Amino acid sequence: MELVNVLVFGLVNSAVLALTAMGFSLTFGLSGVANFAHGGLYLLAGYTSWILANRLNLPFAVSAVLAVILAALLGALIYRLVLMPVRGIVLSEVIATFAVGVAILELFRWMGFVTYEFNLRPFVKGSVEIAGVAVDYQRILIIGIGLVLAAGLWYFTRRTRIGLALRGMAQDEYTALSVGIESDWAAALSLALGAGLAAVAALSILPLGIISINIGYDVLLIALAVTVLGGLESTTGLVAGAFILGYAMTFTSTYLGPQWMEAVYMAAIVLVLAVKPSGLFGKSKELEERV
Amino acid sequence: MVKRGYRKERLDRGIKARSDDIFAIASWRETLYLILPRAAVIVSLLAFPLLKDVLGHYWQNVMLITCTIALLALSWDLLASVGLVSLGQALFFGVGAYLAGFLSRTFGWTPLLTIPASTVAGALLCTAILFPVLRLRGIYFGLITFALPLLMMRMIEATKILGGTEGLSGLPPLPDITFELYLVITAALVCAFGFKRLMDTDYGLVLRAIRDNDRSVLASGINIQWYKAQAVFIAALPGTFAGAFLTHHYQFVGMPAFALDFSILPLTSVVIGGAGTFAGAVLGAFILVPLSEVLRAFGTLRVVIYCSFLIIFTIGLPEGIFRFIERKYHQFERVVPLEEVRA
Amino acid sequence: MKRLLLAARFIFLAAVLVIGAAACGGKDEKKAAPIVIGVPTALGSIEGADSLRAVQLAVEEINAKGGVSVKGEKRPLAVVSIDTREHEPGIPVTDALAAVDKLIAEKKPNAILVGAFRSEVLLSSMDLVAKHKIPYITTIAMTPDFQKKVKEDYNKYKYMFRMCLNAPYLVNYLSRTMGFVGKEFNFKKAYIIVQDVLWAKGTGSGLEKWLKDNGWEVVGFDAYPTGASDFSSSLGKAKAGGAQVIVPIFDMPQSGILLKQARAMKVPALMAGFISPAAPGSAWKTFEGEVEGLVNLLFEIGPMPVKAVPRSVQFHESYTKKYGQEMGAKLSGHGPGPSYDAVYVLAGAIEKAGTLEADALAAAIKATDMEGVIGRIKFSDDHQVVYDVNPKEAAIGAVFQWKAPGVRVPVFPETAAEGKIELPPYMKN
Repeated sequence: MELVNVLVFGLVNSAVLALTAMGFSLTFGLSGVANFAHGGLYLLAGYTSWILANRLNLPFAVSAVLAVILAALLGALIYRLVLMPVRGIVLSEVIATFAVGVAILELFRWMGFVTYEFNLRPFVKGSVEIAGVAVDYQRILIIGIGLVLAAGLWYFTRRTRIGLALRGMAQDEYTALSVGIESDWAAALSLALGAGLAAVAALSILPLGIISINIGYDVLLIALAVTVLGGLESTTGLVAGAFILGYAMTFTSTYLGPQWMEAVYMAAIVLVLAVKPSGLFGKSKELEERV
Repeated sequence: MVKRGYRKERLDRGIKARSDDIFAIASWRETLYLILPRAAVIVSLLAFPLLKDVLGHYWQNVMLITCTIALLALSWDLLASVGLVSLGQALFFGVGAYLAGFLSRTFGWTPLLTIPASTVAGALLCTAILFPVLRLRGIYFGLITFALPLLMMRMIEATKILGGTEGLSGLPPLPDITFELYLVITAALVCAFGFKRLMDTDYGLVLRAIRDNDRSVLASGINIQWYKAQAVFIAALPGTFAGAFLTHHYQFVGMPAFALDFSILPLTSVVIGGAGTFAGAVLGAFILVPLSEVLRAFGTLRVVIYCSFLIIFTIGLPEGIFRFIERKYHQFERVVPLEEVRA
Repeated sequence: MKRLLLAARFIFLAAVLVIGAAACGGKDEKKAAPIVIGVPTALGSIEGADSLRAVQLAVEEINAKGGVSVKGEKRPLAVVSIDTREHEPGIPVTDALAAVDKLIAEKKPNAILVGAFRSEVLLSSMDLVAKHKIPYITTIAMTPDFQKKVKEDYNKYKYMFRMCLNAPYLVNYLSRTMGFVGKEFNFKKAYIIVQDVLWAKGTGSGLEKWLKDNGWEVVGFDAYPTGASDFSSSLGKAKAGGAQVIVPIFDMPQSGILLKQARAMKVPALMAGFISPAAPGSAWKTFEGEVEGLVNLLFEIGPMPVKAVPRSVQFHESYTKKYGQEMGAKLSGHGPGPSYDAVYVLAGAIEKAGTLEADALAAAIKATDMEGVIGRIKFSDDHQVVYDVNPKEAAIGAVFQWKAPGVRVPVFPETAAEGKIELPPYMKN
């Protein structure tokens, strides 16, 4: 019984992690920007949707679409205003995006978005029994959304012109430039896509819990952990990383106690980086990351 | 179309001999020119604790925190000079803080013993922790240092060692605030000038070379891992000292010793002041921390404000305030018409 | 183009700064020689914000009657507050202390009310307060170590008092509730889920001991870090282990979701404990009725009017009148009651002592005996207000149950009860 529970919720947990990390991983894979504003954008989408739905009384679907669009626009804007002047200086990119992310989060905190009333409505209410374990529809939906997005991403980056152009950019900027791919345009697009994905993740995952500022910081760490674990540019690596981490977290939480759960992904970041920085499934780029 | 206009021309001020470590002084004026800025800073810092009655307890406390952040910023700057970019100065701070707490709780040592002991032992411990990952470069090292303090925090929370979530309270205090101030100000000054000196020696040259081109240093038969480890040890010293010091100042150490604040504030200080100069790190801390205290009434908005600083300086003035001031001090500027240049 | 972008960047940042500056305006009006009450607490937290409002309400009431008389001279009260942010995980205790320090140094308060939010901050700020010798009545932090410290060095810490419930009293209320539930429904299996903070863990293990001593089986005991919002592993274990009662002990906003997750996972157990977001009157609406059946503790009465204590009804009415229906309905279950009373305790002590001098004031506070919102207020030897079951003799907290169509029915203690604990609908069939 307990084991079935762990297996089912491990699956859900893995899907949540994959969805959380997807935007971050996409941006990094396509333009090499580690978007540390990921958590900020994630929560921004959640709060925007909440405000639109509860203060302006828009239907949830409309608020969700608007939130995703807003996040994507902001992503592109972050690139244009903040990242472009420091493009290529990895450290400055990280510092600048991190500052943007923290600024977004703390601004919401300052505006008083800290109480328990901020929770999003699930798309569908109710639950279903799977092998004696009650799972709510929202969690099943998350698995579905995760699968669809992962497949879509794979198709987008491998089979479409734009996707291929973006990947070319990530692999060799100069060659890509010489075949007529515009670097800034591509990078802005990759940030917008990443931010949009963060928003989709927020809107599907947040109804499980409550929207609170600290989730923004956790989301960033989770995204880092999953991406680092699975390797930085592959969709397969992302899914595999999410599964390993998802089950590891559910197992420790059940058998060791929930206070260990957060130590797990932090330890994953540290261990993987120390042992195999290109990730368990990443292609080797050894010289670039270490000597 | 010929563009007409003017440009700024910069000229070094005339001083007879100026090299990195030899001053051939020609006149008193030039001596003053070189010494005055440094002396002004040292004297005013050392005079600060004497102004106890004018400034009151609160601002002395602010000064104390400013100096600890300055120490962390100096530690960051030294690491960055070897090409190791840290996103988690809280690691050094936290290790120092917990060691001091542990030593004084378990063995009942006085602060005068625990502070030096945990400074050195803490730096050794940090070096040992970071040793396996010293091979990492660029953002990968940054990521791991970002995660490490948070991992430490979770481990203490989960294993309930060292007081767990409750921390250790009621630790012995330092004699008095004047003593504390002198201790921490001296430490900051020694580190700032000492590090600058260090980087100018041959030893420092190797460290800088590792940052600029590690592979060619490697090719010259120098063990760069070993040099990096030494640099981490030296850089960890001010960090662990700051932690141990604040532990005894507040007579308390807890999980927040590994908090993000201790990573972001030093980093912001360096970015504001200017990396690679050490004086810039201190200057940054002396701007940021008092400012953040003044802005306390804004609540969490002050975090937003200093994040804005971080963005503005990263984008707009990447050299930092110190280099800007330094340039103004050492150089004339005058406007010259473009034609004149062409001719 | 480049210039435009640069301009856009700066306009954006300038806007942020201006918004901030605008918010900074509006300072308290200073009247002639007011008695300054400092409120350094986590103003961003629900309990902290409500407590500050309760203090301001009491101060207004007293000022409307002319203020407090010190040696025949009527002096008004003034409130100064500072946000310590200590409810946010990751804020160093040192930062919270710096805020308290700043308040003391700049505003020179004659007394501090409400005070620390986190127990860790309370304990570490005791030395600071002792150094400045300022009467300090804390109304949120709950660790019993506070009393231990006061006892150990009485002369040093005699300026500090606590009016809110402490952890042992909380255990007492909870265990009595469990005793009732065990007898009434023949329940014998409990599962404890707590927040990983000092007071909640202390309460949890205190209750665990009581349960084991009284023939219960404790199926599990889990601690969640502050900010966690996925409780499915514990709920799964509780369901698998056949727990009949789940005891949650939380004061973070995220904990409200525990109820929703339990309903989604169809856990057939009675929830009885403390979930701060489920305590206010608005919770039924916030959680869309999913709080039904929850037995929750109100640490101190006041936020919920209890007919047996007329002052609590009166407080609830004037609070709602001053801050509006919505704020009244959101009033949190911990903090506001004692914070409101603390102002009256202080005012009474000042009048009795006839001075603002700390030692005399502390002695006068110690001797307090009055009827307040939380019941009868008397301090024990270790400076804790005594809580028990009879509001005529001591202060009381109240256990209530959420029942359809969205009312909080007090069920314990008997002196205040207006109903009985019933099984929630999902357990009846």
